[in-house]
Amino acid sequence: MDDPMRATEQREMRATVAKFLDDNADIRTAMALDPGYDKDLWRRTVDELGLAALLVPERCGGLGMDFGDAAVVIEEFGRRLVPSPSLTTLVACAVLDQCGADDLLARIGEDGLSVSIALADREPTTVDQGRITGSKQHVIHGADVDVLLVVAGDDLYTVDTTSVVRRRRVALDHTRALAEIDLTDVPATLIGPAAVVTDLLHVALAAESAAAAETCLADTVEYLKVRHQFGKPIGSFQALKHRCADLAVLVAGARATAWYAVRAVGTDELASVAPLAKVVCTDALMAVAAESVQLHGGIGFTFEHDAHLYLKRAKANQHLFGTNSLLRGKIGESL
Amino acid sequence: MTDEEFRAEVRGWLEANLGGDFADVVGAGGPGHEHEAHERRMAWERRLGEAGWIGLGWPVEHGGRGLSLVQQVIFHEECARAGAPGRLGHMSEQLVGPTLLAFGTPEQRARLLPGILSGEVLWCQGYSEPGAGSDLAGVRTRAVRRGDQYEITGQKVWTSLAHLADWCFVLARTDPAESRHRGLSYLLVPMDQPGIEIRPITQITGTSEFNEVFFDGAVTAVDNRIGAEGEGWKVAMATLAFERGVATLGQQVGFERELSAVVELARSTGALDDPELRTRVTEAWIGLKVLRYSAIHTMAAAGVPGVEGSISKLQWAVWHRDLGELAVDVAGSGALVTDGPPYELTDAQRLFLYTRSDTIYGGTNEVQRNIIAERLLGLPR
Repeated sequence: MDDPMRATEQREMRATVAKFLDDNADIRTAMALDPGYDKDLWRRTVDELGLAALLVPERCGGLGMDFGDAAVVIEEFGRRLVPSPSLTTLVACAVLDQCGADDLLARIGEDGLSVSIALADREPTTVDQGRITGSKQHVIHGADVDVLLVVAGDDLYTVDTTSVVRRRRVALDHTRALAEIDLTDVPATLIGPAAVVTDLLHVALAAESAAAAETCLADTVEYLKVRHQFGKPIGSFQALKHRCADLAVLVAGARATAWYAVRAVGTDELASVAPLAKVVCTDALMAVAAESVQLHGGIGFTFEHDAHLYLKRAKANQHLFGTNSLLRGKIGESL
Repeated sequence: MTDEEFRAEVRGWLEANLGGDFADVVGAGGPGHEHEAHERRMAWERRLGEAGWIGLGWPVEHGGRGLSLVQQVIFHEECARAGAPGRLGHMSEQLVGPTLLAFGTPEQRARLLPGILSGEVLWCQGYSEPGAGSDLAGVRTRAVRRGDQYEITGQKVWTSLAHLADWCFVLARTDPAESRHRGLSYLLVPMDQPGIEIRPITQITGTSEFNEVFFDGAVTAVDNRIGAEGEGWKVAMATLAFERGVATLGQQVGFERELSAVVELARSTGALDDPELRTRVTEAWIGLKVLRYSAIHTMAAAGVPGVEGSISKLQWAVWHRDLGELAVDVAGSGALVTDGPPYELTDAQRLFLYTRSDTIYGGTNEVQRNIIAERLLGLPR
């Protein structure tokens, strides 16, 4: 049972973040900007919400909150598809905390630095005498963040962003820019083992996807209530009702799974729960977003309507940090 | 008492009793075996009652133990883990009891709750009729008042355990001038009387657990009506909500055991080497985790499930039905023949056939979808 006091705190925090984003985040403008996100908004989330310092421990001058609090922020950004390096920054802080990288944490908190994590290899990445050579891809907002963490072999490093080549790619998902990063004999500072990085990224994507699925379904249901054809709201047709009900079941399962995964952070269960939660929640978002496009009819196929943004985020989340088919195969092997 | 202390107490008691007097009924009466070992399972009900394991969530002043939702679920989990026999008293405890607590008079509670709590009195549910299934408001069974009695005439169907039950809770039309939801009353009817005839129905499993019940001038006292005359619909709806409530939260443990058996079967037949079947086994395993997290999430929210109960019902019913089909598919062509006459099924075959009922009873999937769409999502009728 959740501690009621913590539950109240998190509810208030959720309301604060939600209001801030509703008042200030303009997704369409942000995604059209060069970096793919609104740097002024990032600065304000740092100043007004304390986002960069959220998971920085108090010993490093931060707010010392836990991953459950971070998940609240990730969910509120995620359900609105706000382009932002917030997800990777929060995950990075959680990892750095576990590795005891206090100096870097202090700088992130103090200067409000944005962070991303380079995981997927574009070309094999090798480390030789503290220098990394290779190439990374699909690094979220990787061309623009202040700090880069790089996974090489079984370890996590940080590199000087001025000593790497960063290329912004036009991503399928307009709300989350992706970069390629070339490293040629780049001096790297060892942070610690990379083991927990993927698990935390999976949990973060699960929380984001479950929240986005919830909002996408709610928006779709609202549309079915107001859109009239054949003289009545189309939401009164049983064929559509039943599809929405099935989606509601998926969303409920995804929300519960993400909730459980967030609480598994820091426990032995994390390694088994995290990839499962990523698969379940991103698949749920994909199902909801795909149906959302269909149920909106022609308007759902327009660039103007947000349905495609959910569809694209869903597909991206299914692929990022290990495709779902790959993860499902690994889960199968563990049986 | 902490939850873990409570769990230890339940586990200890189950070990002592299922390892002793009741060793013969371990695993009896589970899904697909619900027609078995009735006499011994009635004895198990009485043993549960003696030890105070019935009415765990009921208020203390009504003979219950006032335990939390979490502890009630722990009890169901431990029973499943220990292979405790399938309950015969679930309708008594989970449906009639809560209905009496919510709508019964003090006299009715005092008279009827003790028999449920002691496990001695068995109840069955008289809702569905040949012409009133998902559309329950189409009930046509008539109850005519004569003095201080009702005379009941009509037919009920799919009545589980009617042949064993002492009482039936019947939804009957007391005002023929009214239609649909109005003019219905909720009557408790003693089963042992000449006006009632019970005919078993053979299920697709070849066995028989449910029945047709014919009422031909059967009688019950006016005192056995719950709620006001004509208010039966409200009471019946509340009972259905109880049906989708607590009891299912603890069933994951039983599901886990069934899935483990399917995985073992798949290993032994080589089905795990088949990519398609392997994917389906993995999906089943992931689905079970989602069921588990959903149950825990519901409990943490600390509410007794309302409309969310429909989500849970749809979620687990589909999962369980798919598991049944997966079981015969991993069994391979061996599933084509039974263990012998008259129609002795393997566990896989039994699960395949039995789970077809999960998506029908207690509100079909289609009715659950309507409830979710209209009451949870607010889509127009």
